Amino acid sequence: MKPMRHLALAISLLSVAPMSSAQQHTMPENARVYILWPSDGQVVRGGFWVRMGLADAGVAPAGVEKANTGHHHLLVDVDLPPLDQEIPNDRNHLHFGLGQTEARLDLPPGKHTIQLLLGDENHVPHRPPLYSKRITVTVLPAGTP
Amino acid sequence: MIATRRLLLLGSAAAAAAAWPGRHGTAQGTQQGTQDHAHPAPAAPAPRQPAPRDAYVYIGWPQDKQTVVGTRFKVWFGTRNFGVAPAGVTKVNTGHHHLIIDAPLPPPAEPIPNDRNHLHFGLGQTETMLELPPGTHTLQLVMGDAEHVQHDPPVVSKRITIEVRAARAPAVAAAAP
Repeated sequence: MKPMRHLALAISLLSVAPMSSAQQHTMPENARVYILWPSDGQVVRGGFWVRMGLADAGVAPAGVEKANTGHHHLLVDVDLPPLDQEIPNDRNHLHFGLGQTEARLDLPPGKHTIQLLLGDENHVPHRPPLYSKRITVTVLPAGTP
Repeated sequence: MIATRRLLLLGSAAAAAAAWPGRHGTAQGTQQGTQDHAHPAPAAPAPRQPAPRDAYVYIGWPQDKQTVVGTRFKVWFGTRNFGVAPAGVTKVNTGHHHLIIDAPLPPPAEPIPNDRNHLHFGLGQTETMLELPPGTHTLQLVMGDAEHVQHDPPVVSKRITIEVRAARAPAVAAAAP
């Protein structure tokens, strides 16, 4: 009897183990994330709005678990983070956990890169990950003519 | 010593119970509750979710008065100072989009109708592909809460008018950027 119980425990442990490693959510095959505005190579003056596009999937705030949804993260001047972990939360990784689809950016003059990366309710990218093209924006000082 | 401490504890528990009458005598409480509800105000609709005054939605594409060539085109939903959440999710300062086509704004205190003139985006979508016959059409966005009821004040876009024209030769219709 005792060995049987051990076996049952071992089996239940085995069945739990793969689940914990497969926590990343999937998205519809056609789902696509893109930066609607600005366009790649665009020159802007001062602060500017970034419009975040998501096709064939939905936006849900952080903390809300619902199939085929996620929320936007904007990566500024930084490479993609590890795609199987929580997206960092700092000035290079902006979270839009309320479900926002646009943001006002105030960046110092110069060349910058921005890229969108979708995260699930726990800020973990989907599998496969949904991220936009990394685009370059040139910011001119606000005051100059 | 221990006995006094226990007495003190008991005493404080009694004080707490007295301070929160709702926490003791559950049966009594519910009985009183039903009595209180015997003649309340007539069944009022659930209160509408509040929205910040600066929240607004807009149709980012197409633009007002625009002529759209091709009967299938993308509509992009813009949201400012407000977030998107799927239907059924109650979260402060969020809602989901409804696109009203060729119809006036529905009454704010009722769930937004669900038909071909009132499209629901309950998954939290922020854009859609529309297919409309050639001619003049109006489009307007309105946010709905978890129950598809408009917020207070309503978060509504401008009602735009577009002209849809059939593409001359559908085979060479340019793909939208």
